[in-house]
Amino acid sequence: MIKQITLKINGMECPNCAMILEGIEDKLKGVKSAEASYRKTQLIVEYEESLLSKDQIKAEVKRMGYEVADGI
Amino acid sequence: MNNILIAFVTGLTSGGLSCLAVQGGLLASSLENQIEKDFQNAGQRKGRNKKNIKPSRSKLALPILVFLIAKLLAYSILGFLLGLVGQAFQLSPIARAFLQIGIGIFMLGSALRMLNVHPIFRIFVFEPPTFLRRFIRKTSKEADNSTLVTPAFLGFMTVLIPCGVAQAMMAVALGTGDPIQGAALMFAFTLGTSPVFFAVSYFATQLGQKLEKYFMRFVAIVVLVLALVTINSGLTLAGSPYTFSRLANSVFPKPQNVAAVATDQVAQSTEPFTDETITGSSDSEGRLLTINVQNSGYYPNEVHAKAGIPVTLKLITDNVQSCSRAFIIPSLGVQQILDETGQAMIQIPAQISGTQIYFSCSMGMYGGTIIFDL
Repeated sequence: MIKQITLKINGMECPNCAMILEGIEDKLKGVKSAEASYRKTQLIVEYEESLLSKDQIKAEVKRMGYEVADGI
Repeated sequence: MNNILIAFVTGLTSGGLSCLAVQGGLLASSLENQIEKDFQNAGQRKGRNKKNIKPSRSKLALPILVFLIAKLLAYSILGFLLGLVGQAFQLSPIARAFLQIGIGIFMLGSALRMLNVHPIFRIFVFEPPTFLRRFIRKTSKEADNSTLVTPAFLGFMTVLIPCGVAQAMMAVALGTGDPIQGAALMFAFTLGTSPVFFAVSYFATQLGQKLEKYFMRFVAIVVLVLALVTINSGLTLAGSPYTFSRLANSVFPKPQNVAAVATDQVAQSTEPFTDETITGSSDSEGRLLTINVQNSGYYPNEVHAKAGIPVTLKLITDNVQSCSRAFIIPSLGVQQILDETGQAMIQIPAQISGTQIYFSCSMGMYGGTIIFDL
């Protein structure tokens, strides 16, 4: 089942950090789409629940050098 | 001319690293092929030691150069198009003044955003749409191995993800209202960013996070200063009495740059090049105001004229190349391109006593005042 999660992200210094964050699409199997916004400081990820968990996504975001403030 | 130099210096000092932070990923992708190839070659020769790629660094120079040339080309075209858009809205000096002030506010907002003053300033940024970002990411990943095509293509793509400083420059290019000037401006800026881009990617230097933060603050301050200059130009162009130079003049008057003309009295001036002005202005029954137009502005930049009678403004140019040649008086709708060397006469209708008329170059960089108080 496809689920959607919105994460509040700290540490996006420039608009193109959004592009880097969206690279999560390629990094994690099970991510259907990722849309980040520098302006809103958030990342919306659509993922296949059977393949991926919220925590895995959060961990990957941290690995990419950003801080997850909290889930909305 | 000045603007182009400023663009180059901005690129050199602040554009390079801040744009690298944004576009470095693309450059890295374009180098990946080369590095991978070298890895394979090195692997075939001797083991898998990473250090083996070191001697091949010189091979990176070419893809980096190709990337940068493509980038230079793309931004010059962008500058041309922006100038063309600016030109399409062929603007009166007043409209251009407002555009300039708007651009200044955008730059000011960008600077405050970079300084992280408040999240609200994040509105002062252009975010490429998601589909475009996805497209760039995918193409950079799936780029083929035909070596130089990839860095060329990716260099071109950087135009879609301009950094904050580049965005500010783009706004200035739009404000020029001239495709050639717009292209020259973006070319100069991108050229300025190139040495840093090249050095950092060639030596694969990584700035420490702390240093990067300090650097971003420096960038923000450069943009802040540029913003104030731009706003000031806009104000000058609008003929506003509240420009920085006019405010400074009113606080600290500079008598040496003021010539009282249009009467029988000879103006007192210590400016050597205004000699001609003074001799030229003492005739014509007090109706002739003479101003020397120089590359660096108008001398004198404050002239006093007789009220109640039409006066003539005589503008003398002698091998003038700068924008001071494009002379405007916003309140009278006067716009005139002066000859590089020569004289131009502009008739000014009678003004009531106390009137102040502001004149400037078309970019608002230089200006002056005619005061009808004699």
